[in-house]
Amino acid sequence: MTKTYPVPGGEFPALSGVDMSVGAGEFTAVVGRSGSGKTTLLNLLAGIDRPTAGEIRVAGTAVHEVRETQLAAWRGLAVGLVFQFFQLLPTLTVAENVMLPMDFRGAVAARRRRPLALELLDRVGIAEHADKVPAGLSGGQQQRAAIARALANDPPVILADEPTGNLDSATAAAVLELFRDLARAGKAVVMVTHERDLSGYADRLVTLVDGRVAKDVAVSA
Amino acid sequence: MRPRTVKMWRDLSAARGRVAVMILAIAVAMSGVGALLIARTVIVREAEAVYVGTNPASATLEVDGGVDAALLAQVRTRPGVTDAAARQTVLTRVRVGDQWRRMLLFVIAPDDPMRVAKLRMESGAWPPADSELLIERTAGPVLDATAGDRLAVAGPSGATTEVRISGTVYDAALAPAGQESTGYGYLTPAGLARLGFTASANELRIVTPGRDEAGVEATATAVAAWLTAQGREVHLVQAPPYQHPHHSQSETITGMFLAFAVAALVLAGVLVAATLGGMLAAQTRQIGIMKTVGATTGQLLRVYLGAVAGIAATATVLAVGPALLAGYGLSGLVAEMLNVEIANWATPWWVPVTYLAAGLAIPLAVALVPLVRAARITVRSALDEHGAGTGVGSRRSDRWLARLRGGRLSTLALRNLLRRRGRLALTVALLAAGGAMFTSGLNSSAAWRSWVDDGMARRAYDAQLRLTSPAPVDTITMAATAVDGVVAAEPFVSLVATPAAPDGRIEVQRTYPDDGHGRFLLTALPAPTRMVDLDVTAGRWLLAGDTDGIVLNQSAVSRLGDPRLGDDVHLAVDGVVGRWRLIGTVAEAGGPATAYTNPQSVTRFVDPGTANMLHIVTTGDTEVVTDEVEAALATAGLMVGESMLIEDLRTAIDEHVAIFIGTLLAIAALMAAVGILGLAATMSITVTQRTREYGVMQAIGARPATIRRMVLLEGTLTGLLGSLVAVALGVPLSVLVGELLGRISFGLPLPLQLSPGGLAAWLVLSVAAAAAATLVAAHRAARLTIRETLTYQ
Repeated sequence: MTKTYPVPGGEFPALSGVDMSVGAGEFTAVVGRSGSGKTTLLNLLAGIDRPTAGEIRVAGTAVHEVRETQLAAWRGLAVGLVFQFFQLLPTLTVAENVMLPMDFRGAVAARRRRPLALELLDRVGIAEHADKVPAGLSGGQQQRAAIARALANDPPVILADEPTGNLDSATAAAVLELFRDLARAGKAVVMVTHERDLSGYADRLVTLVDGRVAKDVAVSA
Repeated sequence: MRPRTVKMWRDLSAARGRVAVMILAIAVAMSGVGALLIARTVIVREAEAVYVGTNPASATLEVDGGVDAALLAQVRTRPGVTDAAARQTVLTRVRVGDQWRRMLLFVIAPDDPMRVAKLRMESGAWPPADSELLIERTAGPVLDATAGDRLAVAGPSGATTEVRISGTVYDAALAPAGQESTGYGYLTPAGLARLGFTASANELRIVTPGRDEAGVEATATAVAAWLTAQGREVHLVQAPPYQHPHHSQSETITGMFLAFAVAALVLAGVLVAATLGGMLAAQTRQIGIMKTVGATTGQLLRVYLGAVAGIAATATVLAVGPALLAGYGLSGLVAEMLNVEIANWATPWWVPVTYLAAGLAIPLAVALVPLVRAARITVRSALDEHGAGTGVGSRRSDRWLARLRGGRLSTLALRNLLRRRGRLALTVALLAAGGAMFTSGLNSSAAWRSWVDDGMARRAYDAQLRLTSPAPVDTITMAATAVDGVVAAEPFVSLVATPAAPDGRIEVQRTYPDDGHGRFLLTALPAPTRMVDLDVTAGRWLLAGDTDGIVLNQSAVSRLGDPRLGDDVHLAVDGVVGRWRLIGTVAEAGGPATAYTNPQSVTRFVDPGTANMLHIVTTGDTEVVTDEVEAALATAGLMVGESMLIEDLRTAIDEHVAIFIGTLLAIAALMAAVGILGLAATMSITVTQRTREYGVMQAIGARPATIRRMVLLEGTLTGLLGSLVAVALGVPLSVLVGELLGRISFGLPLPLQLSPGGLAAWLVLSVAAAAAATLVAAHRAARLTIRETLTYQ
């Protein structure tokens, strides 16, 4: 796929001829310098942006063909997104944040939502904070809550945009472990990151340089 | 509760101040909408009910020589006539303390079955004894008397006779006595004769089965023709519309106010839209996040519309109490003004339904656009949003702004002001619309005062006296000018006339037989006159040589069917028809429809060199001097039938519209309040959105006081801009309101009159209110710590 952006001097190629696939149960880390196209790649995978040319298939859906009005609904079920700054809604409790995707998509019966949210929070290790608002949690706890929210509708794909960028190293390691476990559990995990040492966590390391895949290697355990 | 609902609820709770402002704005407007819906419905319905309840005559024919019982019986058998009554109305005076008061005597035969133009007895019994009369229930204060008291009523010679008040009646077809400064009395022909008047039931009132205009006119014309064939002269045929005399005024004015209240509601809706739009703009990123977790545009829109509906519903419910209070209060006031007794205070089912529908639908409809825009934002745009300032610098005007130089603070405030132009436009529109209403209210009030002032100034006299019969001009002048305090005296002729067709046939008039709604005067002033200088609106005023020229005031123009200059005008006085040529039209504040002509052209009605009216200019106490003039005229053998001070006329004119001007100003104030609330809400949003920016400014050395001043200056500049636009918009709006109010009151649009004091007051008030409204936001911005601002999401 290719993605260009119009700039005063013409077209800026954010991604050029990127051709890759990520399998279920695979934890792929995408690295590269600022402006290398990492976030663009993630946005295209999540249907937040559309490719200028090429195709994107996620969990059997041709994302580039999904109508704008249907993308949100598709995304809510197919993709779980995790951001660098957590992006939890500040006026909802942690549990309510996790229940929100279930509410919007209706994939989980109403009476099952809170138990499931607590279950997910327990899985990421912060069940005891379920009824606190995000501001009362540490950065690491907030990111765990964000991961639980990404799992709310049990999507096959988890996309994470520098999820450890705002965390200390110990907490970052714990978050990476979580992603590794999710991949082990069958999710396709794609993580854009600046982390240098991903051994023991990621299965694959894709390096982008100027919008092209410069390196695509397996990470040794 | 669903998380999305919880989120909206908590977001609104977190923005309690702004939510309160939104609720307040809608509630204020809904109070006006509800009050006017109630007042309009109750008043129009009840006025109709009481009027129809009197079984008013379909037509009234003025028959020379009166209608006796035999003739009346014959009239009742005429085709198309279901009932008939013969009545008489006499204008005289009554002595109240040391003053004379105008008095209308309604004469009804004792055997009148009272089926037509019915009265309701409130106390006493019908018929009164010969030495008694009943008074209309509103006449007590004018006459300073109640049942059991005695009145000194003047007869044709001016001599008074004592008459006892035996009770009171309710006559729903009359304006309140106080408003007309006239006492209303009801007595028998024998009672009238006792006062010295000739009893002659010259008003033949007929009722037709249908009330349609054409049918009534046909029957009335046929009866008039039949009477003429019987050798009777018919001087006037009146077939008023089958509705209360004040029906159209009440309906038009309450309709206008209702429109203003709805405009205030739309403004409040805009305020809600702007405030919510601002709150959502601050939440753009959150909207993006919700979309990334699966929220569709429709789902978000429903949540936000639900919030608006909740706010609107709360405000609508809160406004029920004030709306009921104001609505019934206003109904009571207007009813009192119209002498309408409200028998049924209930409002029909559609009033609460309309109220609720307006309260919910209008804010929702107005808020729809910004909400749809907010909900439709793409995830990409939402996640890229970094607060105010996005896109700044890309427009040509931004580059122009960048070149602006001035004080650091003012330059910054001005540039900030123009960053979010859509919001600025909305805020200015809110302030301007509220302010335009406010200034147009003040302007209309000023125009009203100016028009009446001008109208009064064009009457150079201080009092007007009517003699019971014409007398030589020299005798009148000598008697009057001999009185100390009389600076000048000018006798003239004024006669009750009737518009007539060119063939002399009396035309059917669509006026009411109550002496107040439909009098037509033919007035012959000396040429030139020193006492009257009316504003000529077309053609010219009378010259000494005009033998058949006539000048009409606006009411007369309307009554005669808008004749053009040069057209013939036919008027009948006591059955004698005269023809004149229309040479000009004039605007006249107050007074009935009047045709002005020269003395030499009324000699077919009164002897040359005689007059029946007198204008006097006085020094000192006009009332005392007028009394002395009356005494002097009496000494000369001239009886005064009526006297009127110019200041009393002014009071009567003002009282007719005082309540409407007051209501207009009240609604204008409501709209101004909504505008100011809008500014407060917008400034609060602006500050919230720029939280991070304030942190950056503080980080690079700006003091809290600098930030406070900058925000304050921004709000004040917005206030100033809105106020100036309001003043400009207020001008065409004033023309519109003046047109409506003037036409209803005088038959002419009010002239555009700017109220300089009012406009200056508005400018100062709105800028001060803008500063005050911004103060809270400015204070909050200044108190934020750098850490708070830089971590603000």
